[in-house]
Amino acid sequence: MRWYRTGNGEGRLIGRTSSYRVYPSVIAPLSSETSETDRKLGPSEMRLNYGPSTGGLVESVNFSIDSPGELITGIKVNYGFKSRKLKLTGKRSDDALLIVERINGFHSASNSIAYILAVEDALGIDVPEPVLMRRIIQIEIERIRSNLTVMERLCSAAGFGVPHNQLAALREKVSRIIGKTTGHRYMFGTGMIGGIEAQFSGVAEELEPLISEFRDINESLLQSKIFINRLQGNGKVSGMNLVGPAARASGLMHDARYDSKSLPYSRLNFQPIVRHEGDAFGRFMIRAEEIFSSVGLIERAEELSGGNDGIGPVSPEIRDGTGAARVESPQGDLFVFVEIENYLLRRVEIMSPGESNIEAFRRSSVGTIFTDFPFNWESFGIWISEVGVELE
Amino acid sequence: MTSNLWFLKGIKKGVITEKFPAEPPLEPPIRPSVMQGNEHVECPVDAITPEGKWEAGKCIFCRRCEPKFRPTGNQDLSHVIGELPGAIRRSFYIYPLDSGSCGACNMEFLSIFNPQYDANRLKIFMTNSPRHADALLVMGVKTDGMEQVLREALEAMPGPKVVIAMGACAISGGIIGSAPISKENVTVEVAGCPPSPYSIISAIMKMRGD
Repeated sequence: MRWYRTGNGEGRLIGRTSSYRVYPSVIAPLSSETSETDRKLGPSEMRLNYGPSTGGLVESVNFSIDSPGELITGIKVNYGFKSRKLKLTGKRSDDALLIVERINGFHSASNSIAYILAVEDALGIDVPEPVLMRRIIQIEIERIRSNLTVMERLCSAAGFGVPHNQLAALREKVSRIIGKTTGHRYMFGTGMIGGIEAQFSGVAEELEPLISEFRDINESLLQSKIFINRLQGNGKVSGMNLVGPAARASGLMHDARYDSKSLPYSRLNFQPIVRHEGDAFGRFMIRAEEIFSSVGLIERAEELSGGNDGIGPVSPEIRDGTGAARVESPQGDLFVFVEIENYLLRRVEIMSPGESNIEAFRRSSVGTIFTDFPFNWESFGIWISEVGVELE
Repeated sequence: MTSNLWFLKGIKKGVITEKFPAEPPLEPPIRPSVMQGNEHVECPVDAITPEGKWEAGKCIFCRRCEPKFRPTGNQDLSHVIGELPGAIRRSFYIYPLDSGSCGACNMEFLSIFNPQYDANRLKIFMTNSPRHADALLVMGVKTDGMEQVLREALEAMPGPKVVIAMGACAISGGIIGSAPISKENVTVEVAGCPPSPYSIISAIMKMRGD
């Protein structure tokens, strides 16, 4: 492992895989797991169920909400309903990639790139800088689409039809650009061990008019007191163990683009955007500001991504090894650990940012009221597909 | 900012909805689309038979068969496999059910209501309850937790029970697992991983006999 070593934890605790606690450059063996106990209902409280399959939710998930009437006093997110069992061990690393891409289809680039980087680390494969830059472009364009979607869903929750549809139209335009440059609207089949099958020349220029449209929508939303009131003070959360936009909206500089060496963001002079509200409004603002910052990163990465056309897969000379990588997905830190024996995967462990965000959502919901719920939930941008997954 | 100004901002953008399906798709994605080829190639999901025939419902469009097989851009990836009820030509309400998807199908289904496609103009709507649904749209593979939920949603639906299996996972299990619903209960299959909004709309139109 080039960027990670096993040992005692140092720095911020980012999250857990099934065997390790993950820190910025250390993985520490996990000793014991604490299991969540069910909260007991207080006097005059009732427990309500929302989901797993109902309108208003993009994926299947169930919320068990405790309340005496209007106030949410406790909430449990049951994300196991759609839990898929994915068999990765015993497969060749490139065959397993087809499954990893589908752990979270909407954040497929982040998941597959973290996995590819871990495999390349294990097999000692060095890829040229233009490939790494193209991978950064993939992740950043995925972030733009994901952030647009979170904002679109927030507008939908507020019943703001015009900006909701305008943001949906922008999301579609970004999907089409992704489809044109990578050959697939969700980037399936684009990544490969040692290479990439995507050409991004001119992509920053294509994004420019979209970003200018987005700037108008965002400025109008920020002038809307009705909209902002739904977000401000809603779902306030703090604490050191936050990841992604939730952390950066709470004053924490937690960003794998800043403290992980798996991808060369330092070559692009990346600086995380940090705000201090800690609530749904802060998360909304981080999402909006990071759309502009991602376009800047794409522009700079595009300049360094030229040449080496037709970079294809490589045949590794090393057959065994362990590797780890961490990237910043639109939801936050995403860590992958692999152990390879004779070209076959012996162990794969993934730490998805969804789990940390679900815990943050749960904590932030206590003390809010029912009408706050959709805004708070959508502001975290959580994808259940990557949380409710069992790797075998 | 008042709602009146939002209204003006909306008007200012003009109409961006495409003429599809009256006219061909403006920007069809290259994948997924109908694949053309006729020789046997090793396929991770056995979507190519030993005789070299391509089976759309199994294909995850992973590109491993290319260039022997080539994507054509043709978005017509659906076929009717069950009996079509006669009275579904009016407003059509769909209840989407995620049995165990990666999320890509969910987003492509939601995308049919984006301004570029605006499925509402074609009398296609989404409903929040299976009791009000003309069709159940199933996405994702079979999972233990959603098996009963899917059964209950099917039971709650009024007849005739139209079921759309959307995407490789719902049709064949794709590369992830097994299909969540038996073929006898499916009316229409829309292939793709995930099917594009064009393919989904064209499947619904085909089903209605439009």
